Amino acid sequence: MNRRQFFKTTGGASILACSGMSSLLIDMHAFQEKANLSKVEALFYKKHPDREIECVLCPRFCKLGDKERGYCGVRENIGGTYYTLVYGKACSIHVDPIEKKPLFHFLPKSQALSIATAGCNVNCKFCQNWEISQVRPEQIHHIDFPPDSVVKSAKKNNCPVIAYTYSEPIVFYEYMVDTSKEARKKGIKNVVITGGHINPEPLEKLIEVVDSIKIDLKAFSQKFYTNYVRGELQPVLEAIKIVATSNVWLEIVYLVIPTLNDSTKEIRKMCKWILREVGPDIPLHFSRFHPMYLMKNLPPTPISTLIKVRDIALEEGIHYVYIGNVPGHMAENTFCPNCKKIVIERRGYQIQKNNLKDGRCKYCNHIIPGVWT
Amino acid sequence: MRCQIYGIGLNSICCLANLDIDLNEEYFLTVMSRSKVVIIKAKGVLTRDEVNQKKLIHMFNRGLCILTGQRNLKESLRILFNERDRVGIKINTLSGKMLSTRPEIPLSLAKFLEDCGIHQKNIIIWDRTNRELKNAKYRININRNSIKILGTDTQGVGYNSKLISHLNIGSLFSSIQSDFITSSISLAVLKDHGLAGVTASMKNYFGAIHNPNKYHDSNCNPFVAELFDTIYIKKKHKISILDGLIVQYHRGPSYHSKWAEKCETLIFGLDPVAADFVGWQIIEKLRAKHGIPSLKEEKREPIYLKTAEKMRLGKANMDEIEIIEEEI
Ligand code: SF4
Ligand SMILES: [Zn+2]
Repeated sequence: MNRRQFFKTTGGASILACSGMSSLLIDMHAFQEKANLSKVEALFYKKHPDREIECVLCPRFCKLGDKERGYCGVRENIGGTYYTLVYGKACSIHVDPIEKKPLFHFLPKSQALSIATAGCNVNCKFCQNWEISQVRPEQIHHIDFPPDSVVKSAKKNNCPVIAYTYSEPIVFYEYMVDTSKEARKKGIKNVVITGGHINPEPLEKLIEVVDSIKIDLKAFSQKFYTNYVRGELQPVLEAIKIVATSNVWLEIVYLVIPTLNDSTKEIRKMCKWILREVGPDIPLHFSRFHPMYLMKNLPPTPISTLIKVRDIALEEGIHYVYIGNVPGHMAENTFCPNCKKIVIERRGYQIQKNNLKDGRCKYCNHIIPGVWT
Repeated sequence: MRCQIYGIGLNSICCLANLDIDLNEEYFLTVMSRSKVVIIKAKGVLTRDEVNQKKLIHMFNRGLCILTGQRNLKESLRILFNERDRVGIKINTLSGKMLSTRPEIPLSLAKFLEDCGIHQKNIIIWDRTNRELKNAKYRININRNSIKILGTDTQGVGYNSKLISHLNIGSLFSSIQSDFITSSISLAVLKDHGLAGVTASMKNYFGAIHNPNKYHDSNCNPFVAELFDTIYIKKKHKISILDGLIVQYHRGPSYHSKWAEKCETLIFGLDPVAADFVGWQIIEKLRAKHGIPSLKEEKREPIYLKTAEKMRLGKANMDEIEIIEEEI
């Protein structure tokens, strides 16, 4: 199923065609009339008097009356009980190389069965997947794909990893956690690709059942988070710290958007924070922005900007700094911080050469942090 | 609340005509009536959940005649719509049968529109989903030659695929609002709203887009105003009518019987901001009457109305709104 198909109109004969409208209806988006949503009680919410609830899964803390949905659009208060509507309702299913996530220090070359449901708890103006993240579950096609089927499918497709990705897995938390538990029983690893906009308690619980988390740090200023993400920076920083101090492997991605979050000052400040709070060994990916969604007025990030910000990070002392979305760039490779040689050579999502031996640089024996086997 | 009969009526039109002003309908409405709000109360229009049809018609008659200065319902509607219009009546059915726009109201209105020359196939009563419409006791009708009652989720309807980006809004619009209709009536339920403060005719258009959940931060401000300002709404919106037969003055938008008051009122306004502003005052009065803190005290004033005023969408202050109240 590709993204374009999610929105295909379901209507043949048009009801509104009576006024010469039929030609306009071809591209129109339609709900699935029988929405087939789940009704599984949500985790992490509080019940209040008068059938009101407060969701404490993410820092939005949505307070909702009966029949209302949270900001993410996939959780609904029905008579004073909060439900997830997307449990087992996958709208996107693919097998991707793990490098596409991107996770560069986690089981290189492995294939990840990647799933998503509708919904997101922020609204980034530059979202690459807004057609699934910024819609309600009944507005797109999804299939019943319960946890055990996901695991079976991963096995069948020789995927040692399941990735929760594309939209925002925090909003399908219950589905992700149950699938992860099932997967573990079968020896399959779980990775989470997230904006990190989650509260500490649910994150601590999530960490118990997954193996790697990639967090998108979208900028290093609250102003950017307010204007372009519609979220909070501080909880994301807290989430990074929590993951970094756990046994779960962490990588950070920073999408560099021309003029908005690419200043030397901001990048330097962020790098200093990373060094201070989580150390030099957490891989940091600077990704290239492409105009999308509500941000079509800016050009793609110049390669020179990406090189500049990478240089700043290296200068500050971060060991593994990558450039993403620029296939063939030398900064896709992993360099040994000790002998400076290439230990993993990549081109796009392909591994060209792996010069690691038991997690060490084969040239100088330096330990390269990561989950390699 | 300043209450007076604002007597423009036919005499005023003649008077302006004598001054040789190019008096088109738009001018008349914009200059003379924009911020007039008419409140019609009819005791007995609602008895044990039954709407008295006769009284309802009378309410419409008085409300629209006073608002437009015309002699009867037909003439009033002719000022707002022409025969070629495709008219959408956007109702609010979010809160089940107890607190949704009562079916009798849009159905009566649709009949009046038909009587004034609009073909029934060009009238549509609509909301987001058929499920919500059914829960609010509407019978779905997708027959293309009659008055349609349907949700955006009806097969073959859906959302227009063009993403509309305007100020802080980035949304897909129901194809009913974007493509089918040429004129829009917002027929909303007047109620308290836990986040917006008040939900009425402007916020009702949240039901015309695919992602209303994204616009509830900071008391829905500036989102309600900015959504109204988009091309598919501002240009098409003709009149706000608030269903205040029962008003939820606290703990809305869900229905809670202990904070719902039978007011047996309909509110009419050509200025959506003014209509909603007056609706807000009614909610505040009810709150005060029942000893509940004001929305300001609860830090959820509908500040989007002020934003809307700043954006020149209408008036949000008492000094510039003519309120005409009539009990029938
Ligand atoms: S997970 Fe969804 S409902 Fe819960 S607080 Fe976040 S946005 Fe709101
Ligand atoms: Zn080395």
